[in-house]
Amino acid sequence: MKASCRKYFQRISEYLDGELDVDICEKIEAHLDRCPECRECLDSLRRTIELCKKAAAEEIPAEASQRLHMKIKEFLGSDSM
Amino acid sequence: MNDTASDTTDHQLIAAFKAGSMEALERIVKRYEKRILTFGLKMCGRLQDAEDIAQETFLSAFRYLESFREETKLRNWLFKIAANACIRKRRKKKCEPDQEIALDSLVQGDGPSGGYEIPDWSDDPSDRLLRAELKETIDAAIQALPHKYRLVFNLRDIEGFSTQETAEILRISAQSVKTRLHRARVFLREKISSHYKEGENR
Repeated sequence: MKASCRKYFQRISEYLDGELDVDICEKIEAHLDRCPECRECLDSLRRTIELCKKAAAEEIPAEASQRLHMKIKEFLGSDSM
Repeated sequence: MNDTASDTTDHQLIAAFKAGSMEALERIVKRYEKRILTFGLKMCGRLQDAEDIAQETFLSAFRYLESFREETKLRNWLFKIAANACIRKRRKKKCEPDQEIALDSLVQGDGPSGGYEIPDWSDDPSDRLLRAELKETIDAAIQALPHKYRLVFNLRDIEGFSTQETAEILRISAQSVKTRLHRARVFLREKISSHYKEGENR
C-alpha cells in the first residue's frame, strides 16, 4: 500500500460505519475516485464484513438450551436469591 | 421486533420479576439464550464453554436483577456480564497474553496488493456443502483473532452494538473500539482471502 493511502486506510472502517464527519468523508471519497487500490481495499473490507455477518448464525443444539433451562430451574429452586 | 418494542418487553419482564414473578426470569432466558450462547460459541469456539458462559451470565444477572435500575438496556447488561465471563474464562485457562494486530504486518509494500479473494455467501439452500465449508473458514478466522479484538468484532459486527455501546460493555474508550474493530476486520479479510488464494494455487 502506498504511503499516501495509509492515512485514508486507517479510517476506512469508520467511513464504512458512517462515523466520520462530512469533510473527512469528502476527502476519502476524493481519494477513492483516483485510487483504484483503495477502492478495492474498501470493497474487499465491505465484503468481508457482509460475509462474516451472513455466516454468523449458529445452530445451537436443543440439548444445550435444555441444560441451560435445567440449571436456571435448579437456581430458582434454591434459596440463593 | 424493533428495539423500542423489545426494550418495552424487557422493562415489563423486569417489573414482573420485581413484583415476584419467577416466570419472568424464564422468559428473559428464552429471549436471550440463543444470542448469548452464540456469542459464547463465537468467543470460545466450544459449545461446552458457550454453555458455561450462558449459565454464568443468566445466574449472575438474576442475582442482581432486583437492584437493576435500567439505566442501561437489559441486553447490553447481559452482554456485559457475558463478556466478563469470557474474559474470566480465558484468564482461568492461563492463555498467552493477547497479541497485538499490527496493521503494517497485514498491509505491506508500495505496489498493488494483488487483489483480495472474498467469496460471496450463497443464500441458496442447495449450496449447503459450500456454505458449510465457507462457514468453517470464517469461524476459524474469527477464532484466530486475538481475544480483545474478537470481543470487539463479535459485539460490533455480529451482535450489532454501536461503538458507544461496545465501549460501555467492555469499559474501554470508543476510540479503542474503533481501532480494534478496524484491525480485526483487516485481519479477517487477510485470513479469508489468503485461504481462498491458497485453494486456487493447490
